[in-house]
Parts: sequence; structure tokens; C-alpha cells
Amino acid sequence: MDWQGQKLCEQLMMIMLIGFSIVGFIAGYSTGSYQMMLFVYATGVVISSLISVPNWGFYNRHPLKWLDPIEFEKNPKPEILVSKKKITKSNRK
Amino acid sequence: MHSFGYRANALLTFSITILAIMCTMGSLSDNFNSPTPTSQVQVLNINWFQRQPNGNDEVSLTLNVSANLQSMFTWNTKQDFVFLAAEYETPLNNLNQVSLWDGIIPSKEHAKFWIHTTNKYRFTDQGHNLRGKDFNLTLHWHVMPKTGKMFEDKIVMTGYRLPQEYR
Amino acid sequence: MGWIGDSIDSIKSIQIRQLLTQIITLGIIVSSALIIWKTLLCVTGSESPVVVVLSGSMEPGFKRGDILFLHMNEAPIRAGEIVVFNVDGRQIPIVHRVIKVHERRDTGEVDVLTKGDNNRQHDRMLYAKGQQWLNRHHIVGRAVGFLPYVGWVTIIMTENPIIKYVLIGALGLLIITSKD
Repeated sequence: MDWQGQKLCEQLMMIMLIGFSIVGFIAGYSTGSYQMMLFVYATGVVISSLISVPNWGFYNRHPLKWLDPIEFEKNPKPEILVSKKKITKSNRK
Repeated sequence: MHSFGYRANALLTFSITILAIMCTMGSLSDNFNSPTPTSQVQVLNINWFQRQPNGNDEVSLTLNVSANLQSMFTWNTKQDFVFLAAEYETPLNNLNQVSLWDGIIPSKEHAKFWIHTTNKYRFTDQGHNLRGKDFNLTLHWHVMPKTGKMFEDKIVMTGYRLPQEYR
Repeated sequence: MGWIGDSIDSIKSIQIRQLLTQIITLGIIVSSALIIWKTLLCVTGSESPVVVVLSGSMEPGFKRGDILFLHMNEAPIRAGEIVVFNVDGRQIPIVHRVIKVHERRDTGEVDVLTKGDNNRQHDRMLYAKGQQWLNRHHIVGRAVGFLPYVGWVTIIMTENPIIKYVLIGALGLLIITSKD
């Protein structure tokens, strides 16, 4: 999942859950049944978990462009601030 | 960092938080309901009235209770507990409450009722002060919600009196 | 490359400073939980502000596994209230409804008789031998709020201690291995 995807995913999750809870509350209150509210909300939770938990393709539309190794050689070396461990981690992803 | 488990965890936490908020709102919405129940109780007969060997007065009544409690049911009401209590003062105690009858009303359809009963629990005094005693009959109710705060209230009915002599 | 492999990797890569941070984080979590609990104690004035219903004696109102929020203040105890009380010689407090109240004129001390909604008999059998009435000091609190099902977590954990240890272990591992 890329950066844009992460943002999208978190926003989707929040909006969907809040939306479903409001819809559920109104539906439950107007029909006078608590079960209705819980049912609508449970459906909402299932749907939003299906959408926001797995790593769907549309979260990966903006891949990071890493510098080519050759270009890295040409430019003057920047100071390495990140520790070695972090670099291996990010490469692995 | 943004792994499967992380997202599942975030979703779970957030959804439970929202669920808690929804339940709180549901409980708060009960405050908009202002019930207007009505009730009438008649003492039809005093079956017997005597002093027990341990010195306490005991009386047995036949009661006729009718009530309409439909207005106190909201969407967040699981059940309604109603009971009828006799309340009186004695020289020893400034308040005596003795529950005579109780019932659980499971739904709005059952909330308009009429019942003819003897007292379900024993009407005994602490001591022997019941002869000629004035007492109130109070219909109390406790609304049990599906979630949240419990509500209670009562209707006081005055002007009942026990006889002067044992029988 | 699973979740477990990742966790093992991160345990291996723990350094002293990081370990200390994790321990402090853990400490903060534990102490904040303690603070919340103690604040609840102060606010509600009850020895145990939250209780789990363990028996079916108050059905259909309260089922096993429901949670009750208690409150204890100076307000007098009245018939119909659901109170939690301790009986001498019994470990577990009982949640039942008050059906009889006699309040003394001079001292304000109360004599209370309780009964479970689902029981046929009042509670004199449950009290200590020869005890006729409950008094103020027996009563831990009165129920004011209600939340269904949540208490099952604690019931399951107290009845199967293994699950409890597994859960605590897993959570601990998760806290140690998680990075910020």
C-alpha cells in the first residue's frame, strides 16, 4: 500500500463507519427498534472492513519512485541519517 | 507499518468506540421521553388481620390494580419492573415500605393491564402498629434499558386505612 | 514472511534503549488503567463501581454476563432499587432488588429485605444464619446503569485461567514488539 493509498484507506474507514452509525441510529430511532440500529451498524462494519482492511489494487496507484543507483552515484553523496536497519526495512517492502 | 493487522486493529478500535457512542446516544435519547402513566388501586377486602406470635402485625389484602404504563416504553426499553408498595409511618420508623405485589412488563402491548390479586409478599410490620393505620399505596416502576441508564418513578395514591380491630 | 516471523525479527533487533521505552510504555498503560479505576472509585463512592452479573436470579432484567454500574451516595435506600450487597461469610456480592424497607426515626439506620426478580422466595435464606435484615453497611452500591454481554469476557477469563494467561501473554508480546 502506498502513501496515498494509506491516507485514502484511513479516510474511507472513518467516513464509512461514521456514516453507517448515523444512518443506523436514525433508522433505529425512527422505527423504534434497537435491533435495527445494531443490524445496520454491523453491516456497515463488515462492509468497511472488507473495503479498508485488505490491500486492494486501488490503494497502490501511486508507487514511490526510487532513485536509480546510477543517478545516486553521479550526485554528491547526501549524509546518511537513517540507520542501516531502517534502510533494509524499507527495501523489503 | 501499514500492515493488514494494523488496519484490522484500527478498524476494530474505531468501530467499538463508535458503538459505545451510539449506545450512549441511545441511552440519552430516553431523556426526551416524558411518560404520563396512570394507575388506580382498590383494596377490595381485608382477608385477615392479626398479631403473630412474635409480636408483629400481619395483614392480608385483596387488591385490584389497574394501570396504563404504555407511555414509558421507548426504543431502548428492555422491560419495565412495576411494584406496588404500602408506605406508612410508625413511632419507631419514619418510613416503612412493604412491597405487596410486583410484575415484569416485557413489552408495550402488555403495559395496559388490570389485575385482581391478594398480596404476593407478606404485609408485616416491625412491631404492632397496624391497627387503624393510614397508609399510602405507591406504584413504583423501574425502566430497564437495553443499554445505559435506568429510570424510575412512582405514583402515590393516598387515603387507605386499616381497620381498628384484628379479624 | 508472516506476522510471527516479523515479531521474532523485531524481538531480535531490540536494543537496550528501546527495551526501556517499551517497559515505560507498558508501565504507563498499567498505571493509567489503575488511575481510571481509582477515579471511578472516588466518583461513584462504591467499593466496586462495576460488577458483572454472575447468576440468573435477576432474569429477565439482568442476565449472566451483563455489566452493572454502581453508585453509592448518602441518599436513602428505597424499595425497588437494585442493590449489591455483601453477606457475612460469603465471598461474592449479590445483586438483588429491595422489597422491604424500614427506616428508623432516630438513627436513620435501615432494615432492608431483598429478593431476586427471578426467585420465588425473598433472600432471608441467603443471609447469614439468624440474620433477618440487611443494614446500610452490607450494601456496596445501587445499580444505576446497565450494559449487556460485555461481562462475558471476565466470566470466561475467570473460569478458564489458561485463556487469561494466553491473552495476557499475547498482548504483552504485541506491546513489546510493536514499534511506535
